This record gives sequence, C-alpha cells and structure tokens, in this order.
Amino acid sequence: MKTPQTLERSHGWRKWLLRHETLLLVVLVLEWSLFYYFGTSVNRRGMTVGFGTLDRQFDILRHSCEIGLLALALTPVILAGGIDLSVASLLGLCAVIFGQLTHDLGLSLSIAAGATVALGALAGGLNATLIAGLRLPPLIVTLGTYSLFRGLAEALTRGAVTYSDFAPRFLSLGQDRWLALPVQAWVFFAVAAGMWMLVHRTVAGRSFRVIGFSPEGARFAGLPVTRNLAGVYVLAGAIAAIAALIYTARLGQAKADAAIGYELFAIAAVVLGGTSIFGGRGSVTGTLLGVAVIAVLKNGLATLPVVIRLNAAEEISGMLTGFLLLAALAGSTIPKLVSARRNRSWSNGSFISPSP
Amino acid sequence: MNSSRRLFLQGTALALVGCLASPLALTAAEGKAMIALMPKSKGNAYFLSCKIGADRAAKELGVELLFDGPVDSNAAKQNEIVENWITLGVDAIAVAAENKEGISTALRKAQKQGIKVVTYDADALADARSFFVNQATPEGIGYALMDEAARLCGNTGEFAMITASLTAANQREWQKKIEKRLAEKYPQMKLVAVRPCDDLKDKAQSEATALMSANPKLKLIMSICSPGVPGAAEAVKQAGRVGQVKVIGLGLPNENRRYVKEGVIDSIILWNTENLGYLSVYAAVALANDQLKPGAKSFKAGTLGEFKIEGDQILLGKPFLFNKENIDQFDF
Amino acid sequence: MSRYSRELSVLAVLAAMLLALGVWAPGFYRLQPLLSLATREAPVLVVACGMVLVVIARQIDISVGSQFSICSVAGGLLAAAGWPMVLVVPASVAIGAMLGMLNGALVAGLGLPSIVVTLAMLVTLRQGLNLFRQGEFVTLPDGVQWFGLSQSVGQALILAATGVLVIVLAAALRHVALGRQIYAVGSDAEASRLAGIRPRWVTFFAFAALGALTGLAAAMNVVQSPQVQPLSGNGMELKVIAAVVVGGVAISGGRGTLWGATAGLMVLACISPALVHLHIEAYWEKAIQGAVILLAAIAEGLRRRRSDA
Repeated sequence: MKTPQTLERSHGWRKWLLRHETLLLVVLVLEWSLFYYFGTSVNRRGMTVGFGTLDRQFDILRHSCEIGLLALALTPVILAGGIDLSVASLLGLCAVIFGQLTHDLGLSLSIAAGATVALGALAGGLNATLIAGLRLPPLIVTLGTYSLFRGLAEALTRGAVTYSDFAPRFLSLGQDRWLALPVQAWVFFAVAAGMWMLVHRTVAGRSFRVIGFSPEGARFAGLPVTRNLAGVYVLAGAIAAIAALIYTARLGQAKADAAIGYELFAIAAVVLGGTSIFGGRGSVTGTLLGVAVIAVLKNGLATLPVVIRLNAAEEISGMLTGFLLLAALAGSTIPKLVSARRNRSWSNGSFISPSP
Repeated sequence: MNSSRRLFLQGTALALVGCLASPLALTAAEGKAMIALMPKSKGNAYFLSCKIGADRAAKELGVELLFDGPVDSNAAKQNEIVENWITLGVDAIAVAAENKEGISTALRKAQKQGIKVVTYDADALADARSFFVNQATPEGIGYALMDEAARLCGNTGEFAMITASLTAANQREWQKKIEKRLAEKYPQMKLVAVRPCDDLKDKAQSEATALMSANPKLKLIMSICSPGVPGAAEAVKQAGRVGQVKVIGLGLPNENRRYVKEGVIDSIILWNTENLGYLSVYAAVALANDQLKPGAKSFKAGTLGEFKIEGDQILLGKPFLFNKENIDQFDF
Repeated sequence: MSRYSRELSVLAVLAAMLLALGVWAPGFYRLQPLLSLATREAPVLVVACGMVLVVIARQIDISVGSQFSICSVAGGLLAAAGWPMVLVVPASVAIGAMLGMLNGALVAGLGLPSIVVTLAMLVTLRQGLNLFRQGEFVTLPDGVQWFGLSQSVGQALILAATGVLVIVLAAALRHVALGRQIYAVGSDAEASRLAGIRPRWVTFFAFAALGALTGLAAAMNVVQSPQVQPLSGNGMELKVIAAVVVGGVAISGGRGTLWGATAGLMVLACISPALVHLHIEAYWEKAIQGAVILLAAIAEGLRRRRSDA
C-alpha cells in the first residue's frame, strides 16, 4: 500500500538517485587514479607498462563490452521490476547457433549474424511470454531458461563441437581497432546510447519505471504493461545475441560454455549503478558507471605488483566486488531506514521484496 | 552516513590498498630472471604438483618463479594474467592454455615485447610460442588408457567413461584418441556411456553409481578427469563391486593412493607432473638465455637429462603407469 | 485438498517419472544404487528444507553453495586435526549458522534486498575459500567416513537422521509459533507486525536456520567419503532453489511445505540417473532440468489463473 509519505519521499528518491551516480563517478575516478599511480611503472625491460598504458585501457574496454552489454540488457528488465538470470546462457546458445549457421550451414557472416540476433530475440520471447503473458514469477522462469538455454547449447553441439576458424573479417570485430578504439567498443557505445534513449526519452522507456514501481497502478493508468514488459525481455535476448557475436569474435571460438557466470556480474553492475532490484528506480547511466567501476576494479587490482606476487588477482577482486556491492546497497538503504525510523513507519517494508 | 563521510571512508580504504601496493613494488628482485608459470586452474592438484617440479628447477637455476592462474579453467582470465606478466616484464612465460586461439593473442603480444613463451600440458597456436613442452601426445595418453582398459577387461566387454565437462578441450582430445584406438584394436569392447562430472568428485561418484546400475555388464570405469577417479573408486567401493568393476583413469597418486592399495583402482596413468613443471621451467629459462633455439633436436634439463625434441615439441616421454607396486615412490 | 494441489501435482509428476522408469529402465530399482543415491542427496534435502524457510519468508539465499563448501572444508580440516566427529558436526553447524546470521543481519537488520546480498556473499565466500584453500582436497583420517562404522550403518544413520529432521521441521513449521510466524511474515510483513509478530527477527531466524542446516548438511557430506573437495558446493544453490520451486513453494512467499520441496528434489535428483538408465546422452541433462522448472512454473501459473478466474 503506498502511503502519502511515500509520494513525498519520491522527490527525495530522485535527488538521491542523482547523488548515487555522482558518488559512483567519484569512486570510479578515485580507483582509476589509484591504479594509475600504483599500477603503472617502468618494467624491468625498460618499457612503460601497467594500468596507465593505452593498451591496457583498451583491454579493459574490450573485456567489459560483453558484461556491459548484458548489464545494459538487464537494466530495463530490472527497472520494470523483473529479472533475467538467463542472459549469459542465451549468450552461449547464440554463440553456438552462430557457429552452426556459419560453419554447418555455410551462411554468409551478415546473414548468420542477423539470424542469430533474431533467434536471440525469439528466445527472449520465451521469457516474455511466460513472464508478461502468463504472469509467472521472473525469478523462476529465468532460472528455468538459464538451464534450458545452456542445455540447448550443449545439446546442439553435443557438448563437444567447437566452432573456430572464423573469417578474419569477423574476428576483427573482437580483436581490432576502428578509429582508435576497439571495434566492439563502438558497438557497445551504440547500444548504450540506444538504451539510454529508450529508457530516458521515450514514453515506453518511462513506463518501465512505473511498471516496476507498481504494475497494478500502471495498468490502471492505462499503460500497456503486458506489451512493454514483454518487450524488455525480447530486447534483452537480442542484446545477448549481439554480445555473443562480440564474445565469439574476441575469443575466435564459439563453444557451449561461453560466458558462464557472466549474469552475476551483470546484475552486480546494474545494482551497483543504483538501480533498485525491486524496480521502479534506476538509470542507464548508473549501469554504465557500475560496469566501469567493476571492470576497472577487476583489471586495476591485477596490475598492482603486490597482487600479482600474491597470485590472488581473481580472488581479491571477487571479494572486493562483493564488499563494494554490499557497501553500495548499505549506502543507499541506510538513509531510508534512518528516516523511516524517524517517521516511525514501515514505508514499503524495504527488506520484504515485492512479488518478484 | 551521509555522502561525504562515505566518500571519505571509501577513499581511505582504497588509499590504504594503494599504499600497501607501492613499497612492495620496489622490492622486485633485481638481476634475477623472472619466469612465470600458468596452470589451467590454480587449485587443480595436477598443476600444483607441476609447480613442485617447477620450484625445484627455479631453485637450481637461481631464477624467480611466479605461479598464477584462474581458479577454475577460464580462458579469458588466462589472458588477463598474461597481460599482468607483460606488465611486470617477466623474462619468460610457460602456459597451459585453456583455449588455443584465445590465449595466442596475448602470447604474441608478450613475444613482441621480447618475452619468451613456451606452452606445456596444453598448446596454443604454433606462432604464439617457441616450444610446446608436451607431457605426452593426446595419442599417447589415449592409447595408454585404452590399452590398459583392454588389458584389464581381457579385450572384451563394456566400459564407461567419466569426463570433466562435455566442452573441456583436453578431455575431448583424449576421448577422440581413446575411441579411435577402441575402434581400431578392440572391436570386442564397447564404450557404453560418457558422463561429465564437472570436475566434482561427488558428482563423479553419483554418475559411476548410476552407470554401474544401468549397465549390469559393465566391466570398467575410466575417468579422464582427475577428481573423477577417486569419485568413481568410492562409488565402486560403496557398491561392493570391487574387483568386478575395475577403475582406471588419469589421476594423481596422492588422491588415489588409498584406493590403489585397497585394490579398488587398478592403475592410474599420468606422467610425472613434477618433471613436467621442471622441464617447462628449464626450457623457459634456456629460451630466455638464448641457449635453446628453434630447430634444436634435443634439450638437456638439469638432473633429468636429455629430452627429445620433435619439431617444436619437447617431449617429456611416455605416459607413466602408477599401480600398487610403485605408487609409494611418488608424492604428488 | 486444493490447498495442497501444488504439492500433489509434484507428487503426481514424481509418480509418473518413477512409473516410466519402472517400465523402460527397471534396472533403476536396485536397492544398493538407490541407497547410494538417497544418501548422496540427503545433504541437499537438508539444505532444501532450510531454503523452504527462507523462501516462505519471501526471501532468497543464493549463497548456500559457498556456505556448504566452507563448512565442508572447515569440518574436514577439524577432523583432520584430530577432532572427534561428535565435536566436528556441531562445529560445522555453528559455522553455517554464523554465515546464515551474517546474511540475516544484512537482510533483516539493514533491510538490504536478499537476492543482491546473497549474490555478494556467494562471490565473496567462494573467492575467500579459493584464496585460502586453492582447490586442494582435504584428506580425512580413517574413522571419519561413516563415523567409523560400517557403510550400511552409516548410510542408515544418515538417511534416518534426514528423515527425522524433515518430519520434525515440518511439524515445527505447522505447530510451533515461530513456524507459523514465518508464513505470516512471508504473506504480509506489515500485517504480521501489526499482529504483534516481529518480522525482522523472524527473517533473521530463517536465514540463521538455513545456515545451520547447511552446516549440518556439509557434515553429513563429509562423512560419506575419505576426502573433501573444496569445490563440492558448486552449483548447489541452483539445485536447491529449483527443487524448492518445483516442489510448490511460492517464490512470493507465504506458501509451501517441506514435503512438497522433498518431492521436488526427488524429481530433479532422478533426472540424471534416469538419463543414464535410459541411455540418453548426457548433453540433454541441462535442457531437461530447465524444461522441468519451466513446466512447474507454468503449471502453477495456470492453476492460479483458474483459481483467480
């Protein structure tokens, strides 16, 4: 039940949202500077190496394109109060399908790529039908498709087949540069710009937040809830397919186990960026910043000599990311709790999740 | 907590981390060569035992050895770690490649910076490294496993295979060679099933139990993933079918010693992993010092003696069979 | 009876599966392999029972796999250090409880969303364990496996303990006040608060209980073999949540039973051996699992529509 106090607090929420992104930006600049200072050096061979090199920065950009795309795909989904655990599995499935289309069916690269994106959207449509159409809980549906898509990828390849030997023209998507930046970065920027326009400047996009805030209220307000909700899942599928193409081009190989575990970091990036996991609140800018903070953290830590010597880059960055996520959550929730206690009310009962 | 205070705390935390980083950066050993060794996955006991031999070699040669790898087999992470080593400016890198093509880009970069590259256990693309230290060819491994299985089954009967995951590259290679040998030499034997265990000993145990139950005439379970061998052995033991269903596989002596002594496992096939690490480090250092050049036909590695080089592959030798008689001589 | 329609349909599916196996793969019904399967899955069932509590309270915990791994390794190390099993088991339970309480404090105390909190914990705990153990097996001394007793006695002990635990927990959920409070909080936290219940404490308790049960499950797993693999909890969260969901526990809270979750776990646990016995290739397994989860969700959705209409 939304009380008048909640409406009043929504203005406070908007102010807070802005502050959250600024904070994130500050954190990003801070960590970047720290890693630049401590992670760049002249190595034993006399070359300048480490975090501060252009090479390294491009690598960070390259590595974050796929998770970034998945995070972008998840943003409208989570804004609208849903969730999609299946995006990384869908990436794997699309990668394998692309491999089959180009290798087994001999289709040209562009046709195969187009077909892959279409199939990705179709798969997203399965989520859409079950979640928006049948009104099933997104957590369960995407838990099911998480296994189903990965399973289909394994079944299609019998687990064994790996597609490599792609045309150099295709590999350049993942490994070359265009106009001074890695090629996939341009794709990522294009998708990011498109997503920003969609979420923040279109009527449909604005409806996502309303739907996430209160689906029933949105329905009563006459918004096409079912259609828009279905749309975000289909869109997520299409973007996952694009990410699959980039992933395959970068590694030069399409395998059923592509991108295992990526969905967790994508979700972490979205939440870190200030989007509430319950929906109704968040922004694309926040997601981009979240991806940047996590990517810089992961890669930057790995350039610190002490971390290299400890052979613990992955573990330490994993743990720090976990802490960062908790800190970001605590940081955004504690003020609400404090004011709630002051008002002596339970407001939305923030620790109880609305029906997922 | 308001925003500025939170900012201050976060900033302090990061600054502390940074402060820890800088003094240690200055303690880089001057003058000592730095060799970097990467396993496919850091926790895998197989690679940890390679490290033992590598450490020994590093001590003998007076070089500094770095050992790092992904926690679970992850090609993208391997690339990142190679990048770090390029940053550090190591003298040579020895890598067990999870993904042949994927790692080659990073390795080529290293080579361009003057860092010497060898691969061991699992190869990268030929132009991305100078030599491949091969413990045994996939053919050697596959044939050894199949021959041993046939010997234990009397050249006839059903057997099943447990692998790591259906997509693991090394295991795929070995499986292909095993099936080839099976088709060529042992037409009276049948491979009834291949089940993945995801590198989990407990899952391997469940799979083995189901395999025995579903195939009552099963004579042997072969596990080509090392955590799967003790898992399958435990399953046979708990099923009370020791002796009726043989267990062999690619595994480490220490993990399987108990079962070998009890007669549950007949033999495990491997190669001396310590020697593999030892040889890899020696080769890497020799490359870095220009003592080992492309085109060489043989290579002498410290106390281990001479090793044959075929093309650009340094061969460790034939797979080694561990069984009840000799397993106590090994500790890895 | 319609109150339990969800659970009954799961039982129906389970019965159908078992019947199909009886017809096409009668080899499935052999005592020893079934005993082994049951003993292997008993720890998972214990964790699932804990998960039921948390899900009924309208939360979720995806870090149980990492908790399980930590408790297994801790238990193994204590046993290897000479502690008798009589002390190791409670120690494992305690460690699990502490991890659960940490989750509970963050979710109930600070009001953070459980899915993100437990996601962060999943990553942090797993990486912490990797840092510490580097994936190395823990070798257990003789006398740990099956508590030093024979295999049959050990298996019987584990199965009996699990059975008793499930029955007691189910009874407690229904008849003990705290149990009913979990349902209340999951249904409507605000209403339950007005009714005098303290939702924060109930939620905290649910997480702590899940942690303790995970610790117990880890101990039950440790005694089943002579070595502990640190990766052993990998993927457990998926299995447990799927079992709970298939078993009729509503993800929106307030509804569900332990025996439904048990049936759900049995359905999922039978998929793998069924494939082996039906000689179906292993690469279909994930797809089938996913399909089962989806079908369960669809069935629930259809039933809800029919009852709403």
